[in-house]
Amino acid sequence: MTTALWLLPVLLPLAAAGAALLPLRGRGWLLPLAPLPALALGVLGAPGPPPELPWLLLDVRLLLDPLSRVLLVLTALLYVAAGAYARTRPGPDRGFAALLLLTMAGNLGLLLAGDAVSFYALFAVMTVAAYGLVVHDRTPLALRAGRVYIALAVLGEVAIFSGLVLAVQAAGSAELADLPRAVGGAAHRDLIVGLLLAGFGVKAGIVPLHLWLPLAHPAAPVPASAVLSGAMIKAGLVGWLRTLPLGEAALPGWSSGLIILGIVTAFAGIAIGLTQRDPKANLAYSSVSQMGMIAVLVGVGLGTPEAAGLAATGAAIYALHHGFAKGALFLGVGIVKLESDRRRHRWQLAGLGLAALSLAGLPLTSGALAKVALKDALGLVPQDWASLVVLALSFAAAGTTALMGRLLLLVARPAATGRAGAALVAPWIAVLLAVGGATWVLPGALLPDPLRVTLSAGAVWDGLWPVGLGAAAVAVGALLARRRAPALPEVPAGDVVVVAEAAGRRLGSVWSGRVSPTAAGAARRLRALKHAAYLVVLPGGGVDRLDRRLTRWRTAGVLFAVVTGVLLWLVPAAPG
Amino acid sequence: MDLGAALPLLLLASSLIPALVIFVLPEDATATRRVINLVGAVVKVALVGVLVVGVFAGQEYEWRAALLPGIDLVLRVDAIPLLFVFLSALLWLTTTVYAIGYLERYAQRSRFFGFFSLCVTATVGVALAGNLVTFLVFYELLTVTTYPLIVHRGHDDARAGGRAYLLYTVGGGAVLLVGIAWLHSLAGAIEFGDTAAMADLAAAHPTASTAIFALLVAGLGVKAALVPLHGWLPRAMVAAAPVSALLHAVAVVKAGAYGIVRVVYDLYGLRLADDLGVLVPLAGVAAATIVFGSLRALVQDDLKRRLAYSTVSQLSYIVLGISIVGVVTTTGGLVHLVHQGIMKVTLFYCAGNLYQSLGVRRVSEMRGVGRRLPLTMGAFTVAALGMIGIPPTAGFVTKWYLGIGAAKAGQPWVLAILVVSSLLNAAYFLPPIALAWFRAPDGAWAEQPPPTSRLEIDAWHLLPPVATGASVLVLGLLAGAPLSPLSWAQLIAEEIFARP
Repeated sequence: MTTALWLLPVLLPLAAAGAALLPLRGRGWLLPLAPLPALALGVLGAPGPPPELPWLLLDVRLLLDPLSRVLLVLTALLYVAAGAYARTRPGPDRGFAALLLLTMAGNLGLLLAGDAVSFYALFAVMTVAAYGLVVHDRTPLALRAGRVYIALAVLGEVAIFSGLVLAVQAAGSAELADLPRAVGGAAHRDLIVGLLLAGFGVKAGIVPLHLWLPLAHPAAPVPASAVLSGAMIKAGLVGWLRTLPLGEAALPGWSSGLIILGIVTAFAGIAIGLTQRDPKANLAYSSVSQMGMIAVLVGVGLGTPEAAGLAATGAAIYALHHGFAKGALFLGVGIVKLESDRRRHRWQLAGLGLAALSLAGLPLTSGALAKVALKDALGLVPQDWASLVVLALSFAAAGTTALMGRLLLLVARPAATGRAGAALVAPWIAVLLAVGGATWVLPGALLPDPLRVTLSAGAVWDGLWPVGLGAAAVAVGALLARRRAPALPEVPAGDVVVVAEAAGRRLGSVWSGRVSPTAAGAARRLRALKHAAYLVVLPGGGVDRLDRRLTRWRTAGVLFAVVTGVLLWLVPAAPG
Repeated sequence: MDLGAALPLLLLASSLIPALVIFVLPEDATATRRVINLVGAVVKVALVGVLVVGVFAGQEYEWRAALLPGIDLVLRVDAIPLLFVFLSALLWLTTTVYAIGYLERYAQRSRFFGFFSLCVTATVGVALAGNLVTFLVFYELLTVTTYPLIVHRGHDDARAGGRAYLLYTVGGGAVLLVGIAWLHSLAGAIEFGDTAAMADLAAAHPTASTAIFALLVAGLGVKAALVPLHGWLPRAMVAAAPVSALLHAVAVVKAGAYGIVRVVYDLYGLRLADDLGVLVPLAGVAAATIVFGSLRALVQDDLKRRLAYSTVSQLSYIVLGISIVGVVTTTGGLVHLVHQGIMKVTLFYCAGNLYQSLGVRRVSEMRGVGRRLPLTMGAFTVAALGMIGIPPTAGFVTKWYLGIGAAKAGQPWVLAILVVSSLLNAAYFLPPIALAWFRAPDGAWAEQPPPTSRLEIDAWHLLPPVATGASVLVLGLLAGAPLSPLSWAQLIAEEIFARP
């Protein structure tokens, strides 16, 4: 019985994914109902000691710690809301429902996984199934997003695989609880940390591994973007927290590297996000930016073992806060874009604004609590630059405010026709309530050292000025834009991918002779490149020719004769 | 004759007798032929079941008869042969079902099914062989009985493929024969498992022992498709889908890989092989084959050719597992004997279904096929993800064991090979999956109205891939269960390392 309660959060979505493919009446309800066991487990806690399942996979272990409880509540609630939203989608979207349920099974399950193999397995189920969500619309844009998504995901998978293999080997056990210490003392410590940081960093969307994110989130249907951005990218954070030697070793190099990357990510997300015209691309870049701040926390934990506990707690709170706020924003954008009634549209904008302000960290919102966590953790860092990081993050908060202001401007006009029905709005309101409440209720109840939350004048001021600064920037920008056309060129979503694609196209046309390279130097470089590529795999290239040569009769025969002859000659004195 | 000696013979007879009966059946006795085929296959599975229980309980099964003075024909069942017989019996059953459906349209079915059963008889003989001579007899029998299956359709392509197959495998057999003869001239008959005798020989003639090892592995490497001896495999894929399925999963290529397993573990012994230093070059060849096969698979548009090169690559996972010394890698290599077979057989069934029902043979023609053949493509997807090594499939279990074992053995370069191989596998298996499910159908078949039957394709074609595809998942999910191939491989590996 206890075993069933432990496994139901995964088994029910899996069974529902199977059922969703059958032509059953009312199968739409599978979507919002399937995450409920996980939600119950997160809220109520463990139903008993975790069962041991040595026959399942390679000895499955389960665990339910405060981190998994907090994120179970977040993840399950987001999937309930997204499922309820998706239920109303027109048409017999059986494939979409099944894939959403599979993604859900992986995403919920990995939070409960207590051993590296089941964690990796559920992570992979989630990653692979989510490809179907990204390309669901089958537009060229969605297919391209899918290609970039799956390419980076596969790279991430192999990095995680190698990192986990080395870590498990060092630990002599596959239990996640044993990994951080073992990694901290492992012979290949830096290799393992690098592999795991990069592998999970793909999911978390850390620059420069973020490329898939601003393409995939806008391409996916609204409910899918909500869970991708709200819940799935947090799986990368869970991977970091479960495997990196936080609190077990001080790794100053990796720490400062990750903090710098995190800050770069935070600002790059804002800067590029501001130029976007698609509200969902704006939100996707905002997710990139927010994950940068979470990466800063993990970086702090990596460098200062004493701060690791607080940093992990802070990261969990940040994830909770960002998950609900971003889920609400994605669902909200879907709703306001459907609404044509002015009055209702205005109310919906207000709801969207609430989530936006929370994301920006206005005092009294969940964002403010998350910022306190960030600052507390940084306060334990002895080095001088810690206060600089705090300042930088405050400016990032100002940037987030500006980004959210831009978002509201993008959706300020009601739609020409259409209306967002109650079936869409109700799940959204539920998530909005969670934005307001969950972050304040949950961590206090669940996390080991709830943060000191002060509402002192200083703290309020710390939360207020960045929001004010950002809001002022938006106001100025909006005024300028009214005078003349906005001067900002739009950075295409997917930023570096686009550059790489353009380069690839150019190379392709030069290659095939449609365009001749301008300078002699370029021609020479191109020739060298062509030779290099031929050496690899192209049909008619080196590997191809080698294969043909090797498999020609005469060569094969001669090879045989030579090998046999050499062997016989080697041992002339073999007595009969 | 007591039961212990009778069972190995019965195992051979359960396909030999059907073969002989089918040869004399008239061409139009379709129903009788089906019944005989299926009864034989089911009886064999049942016999293997009995053997598994018996061997687990410590029972011994051996049959021997004098072949030449001083040389016995020996059939013996113990743990390693059982792993291979288990695989062949199960996949023969599914492939028989599949072939019955697939061959419906073809001529000369008695000839086909006769040789089909003979081919499996030879495979079982290879599996149970208790010494090198017995092994060679059945190994050559396998070569001969497979040829008619490859050229069955009789057109020029098929005959060219068959010719390539014969040239390579007969050549390989000759090298193997030289190796075996040399060994006999030095040490007389050495039975599998008698590693002490081989150790004595190696102490007296270390160079000769090394050279014999090279000859044996080179001879076996032809069927195991080690680069550069792999040339026949992509050409032999002109055979009909059920033949390719059998060829790539259990019969021919597996016999080669299995032979290498026996030579390393049961003839030389792992310790001796390690001392002679022959495992390092073998690992190198395996690693090169893994990468080379995948690089070639990447640029094939013909689905079956792509699968053929993928076999080249995947088989060497087995050889790689054997040639890195350690319990965990040994387990990984041995269990891949089973895992690779089940995954690859599924993929070939699916390729056959695509061809039979939609006329699709190329990857570039696979747009939207998932809509018309959802269960087939579901099985294809699972098996292909298994090839990449994505959990929770059987292929992941292999990869995990090879990875952990390599790290344990202090050879992290193997991990790099696994990573490269996974990336390449992803690069050539994910596109067909994405095309099948997420693109709109186009091509000649899309114009035709879908069949009105309840099943996407008849049950003969559908059940085998669904069953094997499901077992790819089950073998991964229940890898830790007792009597799973993994636990079986683990037992064998521990026994190998407990040897003196």
